[in-house]
Amino acid sequence: MTSNNGDCLVWNFDFALTTFYEVDAFQLESLIPPQLSLQEAAPGIGLINITAFNFVKGQLGALPEFQELILSAIVSPDLSRGVPSAAMFVLSLTSTCQEHLDHSQDYYKLPVVELLTESSIDKINHEINFVDGNGKIAQIKNCAPVINEYNYSKRYFQAFTKEGEHVFISDVFIEAPLFEHQESGDTGKLYEHPFFKGIEVDDSDVTNFLQMVNEPGSAGKQTYFKPTKFI
Amino acid sequence: MNEKDKLEDIFEYTLDMFLKSAGKDHAEITQFNRWRDAVVDANMYTFEVPHLHAQTPQVQVLRENGEILDLICFASYNYLGYSYHPEVIQSAKNALDIYGLGATGSPVLNGTFDIHNILEKKLSEFFKRESLGTSLFSSGYGANIGVVSAYCHKGDYVILDRSSHASLIDGAILSQANILMFKHNNVEHLEKVLNKIDYENSRILVCVEGVYSTDGNYGNLSEIVPVAKKYGATVLVDEAHSLLVAGPGGRGVAEECGVLDEVDMIIGTFSKSFGGVGGCLIADKELVNYINYYARSRMFSCAIDPGVTGGLIKSLELGSGPDGDQKREKIKENAKHLRSLLRDKVDIGTAHSWIIPVIYGEEKLTIPLSDYLQHHGLDISLMMFPAVPKNRSRIRAFVTSEHSPEQIEKGAHILLKAAKKFNFLLDD
Repeated sequence: MTSNNGDCLVWNFDFALTTFYEVDAFQLESLIPPQLSLQEAAPGIGLINITAFNFVKGQLGALPEFQELILSAIVSPDLSRGVPSAAMFVLSLTSTCQEHLDHSQDYYKLPVVELLTESSIDKINHEINFVDGNGKIAQIKNCAPVINEYNYSKRYFQAFTKEGEHVFISDVFIEAPLFEHQESGDTGKLYEHPFFKGIEVDDSDVTNFLQMVNEPGSAGKQTYFKPTKFI
Repeated sequence: MNEKDKLEDIFEYTLDMFLKSAGKDHAEITQFNRWRDAVVDANMYTFEVPHLHAQTPQVQVLRENGEILDLICFASYNYLGYSYHPEVIQSAKNALDIYGLGATGSPVLNGTFDIHNILEKKLSEFFKRESLGTSLFSSGYGANIGVVSAYCHKGDYVILDRSSHASLIDGAILSQANILMFKHNNVEHLEKVLNKIDYENSRILVCVEGVYSTDGNYGNLSEIVPVAKKYGATVLVDEAHSLLVAGPGGRGVAEECGVLDEVDMIIGTFSKSFGGVGGCLIADKELVNYINYYARSRMFSCAIDPGVTGGLIKSLELGSGPDGDQKREKIKENAKHLRSLLRDKVDIGTAHSWIIPVIYGEEKLTIPLSDYLQHHGLDISLMMFPAVPKNRSRIRAFVTSEHSPEQIEKGAHILLKAAKKFNFLLDD
């Protein structure tokens, strides 16, 4: 299905909440490298993705349980590698674990920001609240009034990142019982914060486009390949 | 990966996934063809299927593997049955005999025939306003992209309903104006969007539709049109699915909502209730004169075929008279009949037009369900993400005035059988 280099790490999680938001495409355009192009939901409407994970104890051999928050812009995928559910250019990554942040920067070339100082996750109601030294970042919740069914699926994603002038690409697979929806409703609040640098998120027009949550109590797996040079 | 897994993988794909690939090669073309070939190889390819005769309520189609299937047709926009009406065909034949096959030129240069002028005049008169004129286009898509891109320019604003047809969106992109969108049919959000711009000093075009074909619901014209006018905007209403069908005289949803006189531009399509092909703008004569020259999709396209034009004149004559009145009654009756057979058994939404959605949910059902419906005797249109929200994929039944009660009952029976097999019956 994909042509990756086979050099990957498996990350086990027991919580995932991902939300795609509609934002001004013009702002987002300036944040991605020229080799990539935004995938717009409609003319002038770009998409960002914010995903929160709770990784269980024992990742990389010895890491404690920790939470991660990752922000990406949705871009056109590299279809020569396969057909992903979505392709993302990673804009910011934060976590409650410094070792994880250091590893993400070195191994995955991800743009890390400072460590989270507070994080709360409600695994049953699918809700998160993350804060760092600069203040509140995001309070996000699932807005679907009813969850009909979780479907076990293996989703393929592509993650782009940048180092200097070079763009890198990783294949990422998520396996978990997932529920996906496009209900409109209250998904919480994104705050003006360096995590969202360059994107106006404190606006009532920043609406959710799509959400995905894992089944409470279920074990999920993220297989994240080491990035290779894209162009 | 075994064959079954491979197929399930293919069923997960939606068309947006092949839109564009990053990188120098056009991998989207390779991947799209891989998907298409896999569906064809599985003998489940129901798209582009050739029909073997006119779009009557009973049709025959030829599948890729050579199978010929007899189907009840709920997939055609031939709402009033004019595409095969004997008088319409005769009128087209007469025009074909006189004018030949094609117009062979731009309408602004050599491509205009007197029957084009007759059709324009009759359409303007149909709307009963002295100041109106009509501009003809060779397609409905061409009408929208041509009109929007000629009327709006860099620095102007085009405000679109979020459920707008691709032709309006493409016209807005082509115009290079600022594009803003408001939530579907939501007048409060439209007002919020209008308030964000310097509306007193800006040129604004608000585009809405008479009937939105994804849900089959009416445009909220009675609220949207006055608000748009309050902010000094020009209002365009695309009556593609509603001209000759909605309104007491067939003048569309704007007529039915009582706002026809406030609408600045009416867009019509001839490929639906008229049973032919082409499109038109009905607007003030001065604007029409300008559009005739500056709508590039008109200026640089050949005029509508003369034979088709002859047929369209007859469709309009029939549709604006007693025949149209009867058919308008009948199509509503038929839609009501089909709804009554489906309501409470499957999710058909809340709209009340002649387009009836049947929501089956998951995208991955689209290909097997479409194949199942064809093999069980139904020609019908399916729609999935991104055209509609995730897990809200739907069958769309286009009811016509020409369906018999038996055809409607048989169609409903097949749909419910499919709903049972694919688990989208409401009581499941």
